[in-house]
Amino acid sequence: MIYILALILILALFVFSFYNKLKRLQVQIGASVQEIGNQLKRQANLIPNLVDSVKGYMKHEKGIFEDLTNARKSVDEAIASQDNKKIDKAQELISKGISSLKVIMESNPEIQTSGLINNLMDELRDTADKLMYARRTLIDLSADYNSSIVTIPGVWIASALGFKAEKGFETATNSDQIKVTDEEMKNPKVTL
Amino acid sequence: MVNVYEQITNNKIRSGVIISLFVLFISTAVYLISYSLNLDSSLLIIAIIFSLASSFGSYFWGDKIVLSLNQARPASRKEFFNFYTVTENLSLANLIPTPKIYIIDSPSMNAFATGRDPNHAVVCATTGLLEKLNRSELETVVAHELSHVKNYDIRLMTIVSVLIGTLSILINMAYRSSLFRNSDDNDNNGGVLAVIGFVLIIFAPIIAQLIQLAISRRREYFADASAVKLTRQPQSLINALKKLSSDDKKLETASTATASLYITNPFKGNKIASMFSTHPPIEDRIKALEQML
Repeated sequence: MIYILALILILALFVFSFYNKLKRLQVQIGASVQEIGNQLKRQANLIPNLVDSVKGYMKHEKGIFEDLTNARKSVDEAIASQDNKKIDKAQELISKGISSLKVIMESNPEIQTSGLINNLMDELRDTADKLMYARRTLIDLSADYNSSIVTIPGVWIASALGFKAEKGFETATNSDQIKVTDEEMKNPKVTL
Repeated sequence: MVNVYEQITNNKIRSGVIISLFVLFISTAVYLISYSLNLDSSLLIIAIIFSLASSFGSYFWGDKIVLSLNQARPASRKEFFNFYTVTENLSLANLIPTPKIYIIDSPSMNAFATGRDPNHAVVCATTGLLEKLNRSELETVVAHELSHVKNYDIRLMTIVSVLIGTLSILINMAYRSSLFRNSDDNDNNGGVLAVIGFVLIIFAPIIAQLIQLAISRRREYFADASAVKLTRQPQSLINALKKLSSDDKKLETASTATASLYITNPFKGNKIASMFSTHPPIEDRIKALEQML
C-alpha cells in the first residue's frame, strides 16, 4: 500500500514539475518574441538618427574640401594661362577656402567624419548582433520546449496537459535556402 | 556529464562546504593551540567570530574585494564599446541580467567573472585583452565568463579566492612574527605564534590540494562548450585562446588566491605557481574545441 502511495506521489511530482517547466518556457518564449520587437524598435529609433547626423557632418566637411579643390584647380589654370588677373582671383579663392577650413579646425580640432562613420559601423554591427541574439533566444527556447514535449517521458503526458508545439522563429522550409544550386557550389571568385 | 542544473546545485553545495571547512579549520587550529598551551578559551570565540565574519564577507563582498585587489575600474559604453555591447548582447541571449562591467589597466591579456549569483555579478577584462582581440573573439571570451556567471561558478570561485587569500595572509603573518620573535626566548606570545605558524605551514599543501578539489578543471571545458553553444563560433574561441597563450605578460595584480578566477593562468611560466594551477593547459582546451568544428 505504502509503495503504491509513494509511486503515485512521485508520478504527481513529476507531472507538476513537467507542467511548470513547460509553462515557464512558454512565458519565456513569449518574452523573447517581445524582446525581438524591442530590439527592432531600438534599431528603428537609433540607426536613421545616426545616419542623419553622419550625413550632416559629411556634407559640412565635404563642402570645405570641395572649395579647396576648386581653388587649387583655378590656381593651376591661372598658372597655365600666365594671366595676372586670374592668379589674383585664384589666390582669393584659396584664402577663402583656408579661412573656412580654419573655422572648422578651431571648432573641431580633427575632421570628424571618419570617426563618426566608424561609430556608425560599430552601432550597425551591434544592432545586428542584438537582433541575432534575440532571435537565437527564441529559437533555443522553442527548441527546448518542443523537444520536451516530443521526447519520452514528456510525450506521454504533453498532449493530455494541452501543450502544443511552439512555432519559434518561423522560417520558410520550402524555399531556396535549403537547396544549393550548381552556381553556389563553386568556390567564390573575389574581384576588388 | 553533468547538466547545467546539476552544476548549479553542485556549486552552491560546494560553496557551503568550503565555508564550513574554513570555519572548522580556523576554530580547530586555534582550539588545539590554546588547549596545548593552556590559554584563555576566549581566543577560540574570537577565532570563530573572525572566521564567520570573513566567510560572511567573502559571500557578500567577495566581488568588491576581488575587484579592488585587481585595481579594476568600471568600463563605460563609450570608451569600451565592443566589450560593453558584447556583454549586453550575450546576457540577453543567456537570459541573465547584464553584469557590472569592469576593466583592469594592464597590457597582460586576461579576463574573469566574480560575484555571488547572476543578479550580483561582475565581468572584468584587461585592456590588453580588449586591444588584441577582435569583436568575434571577444564575444567568445565574454560568453565563457558569462557561463561561469550562470553556473554559479563565480560564487564558489570568489569564496574560495577570498578565504584562501585570508588564510595565506594569516599564515604569512604568523610565520613572520614567529621568525621575528624567536630571538626573544622568554616571550610566551612569540612561542604561541611560532606554533600557529608551524601548524599552518604544515597545513598549507593540504589547503592547496583543497583548492584543486573545489575547483575542478572540468568547469573550464564546460564554460568553453557553453560559450560555443551561445556564439556558434568555435573558431573564434580557438583564435582567442591562441592569442591568450601567446601572451607572455604576467598580470601583476594576480595572486595564487585569485588565479582560479581568470580565463587563463595569470602566471606565465612560473613553476611554483603552476603547481597550484586550476586551469587545464590551453592546448587541451583548443583540442576539445577543434572537435566541435
